[in-house]
Amino acid sequence: MKRNALVFVVLVAAILGMLAAGKYLDRTRKHGPLKMVGNVKGVQAPDFDLATLDGRRVKLSDFRGKAVLLNFWATWCPPCKIEMPWFVDLQNQYGKDGLVVLGVAMDDTEPPKIAEFAHEMGVNYQVLLGTDQVSDDYGNVQYLPTTFYVDRNGIIVDKAPGLFSREEIENDVKKILASGQDPGAAQTSRASVVKASTPTTKDAQ
Amino acid sequence: MTKGVGTTAAVVLFFGSLGLAQVPGDKQPYVTMAPVGNVQLRTGASTSVEMDFRVGSEFHINSHHPKADYLIPTVLKLNPPEQLTVTDLKYPAGEEMAFAFSPNEKLSVYSGDFTIDAVFKAPANAVAGSYPVKGELRFQACDHSACYPPRSIPVQFQVTVVKK
Repeated sequence: MKRNALVFVVLVAAILGMLAAGKYLDRTRKHGPLKMVGNVKGVQAPDFDLATLDGRRVKLSDFRGKAVLLNFWATWCPPCKIEMPWFVDLQNQYGKDGLVVLGVAMDDTEPPKIAEFAHEMGVNYQVLLGTDQVSDDYGNVQYLPTTFYVDRNGIIVDKAPGLFSREEIENDVKKILASGQDPGAAQTSRASVVKASTPTTKDAQ
Repeated sequence: MTKGVGTTAAVVLFFGSLGLAQVPGDKQPYVTMAPVGNVQLRTGASTSVEMDFRVGSEFHINSHHPKADYLIPTVLKLNPPEQLTVTDLKYPAGEEMAFAFSPNEKLSVYSGDFTIDAVFKAPANAVAGSYPVKGELRFQACDHSACYPPRSIPVQFQVTVVKK
């Protein structure tokens, strides 16, 4: 009888252990034991140093003071293709206000093929060659597209896993643009105000 | 006593495995392969082997002939032993589907169950015996709003060659 009780206790402990292990595996599978576990909103965006399609190096910290839309994508990803023309429009529309769109290509494909694809899509923003390291640093990005909205202070304001509507994307862009004043944009804005002598609500912001 | 412990252990293993497998919110796409039954082939003859695959619910993978160059096709690679040759691989036609992310562009995909046929031939001078056939199925999966990097799963089964 005592032996049965002991066996029961050991087995219950084993069940609890396995459940805990399952919970841990779940957490590490979803986020990885990395910098960006859990809710990434409000977290400093990890800096990176990535190659561009023409061989230059680009760091996220190069864009401090700008609002950065950081989009992880791949040429083989149809939903990513849907978003690209929207990013082109947004870069055109908000670039002067301090928006920088960065596309991080997570392809294994050769850079010329990525460049050809980006050219066909009319991409007007910088495309960077993604690495496992940058994927890990941003929480093991496996689900494409995934977009991070980084404000002018380098803080992640939002993360969008998967395809979102253009309206939702634009709303997030407005949030990161509103996070602080881009010195260059502010000067331009003030110059416009002086020239026009009639400041608009947008100029005043 | 022994029976009681055995029953309890079985219950523990069942719930324990549930605990380990319980991954709520984990949406990693998966494709599984059903076991291939006993394949027998006479020397000098050919036979067709059906390989049944299942794509996890909520996901689809590109067919062997996706509709655009930029899409990654599903490809089965088999590495038969010297005693066997693969003379043909027959992929099913993809199902043409439009998705929320691409309502105007139909894609050719596999979802649910699909079967690939491989035709094996054993030369007349093949040595009788049981031979492992190994390979892999490479695919790239998406769900309704996003896509996952290409993955491969192993393919393995036995082919028994018998004398004519």
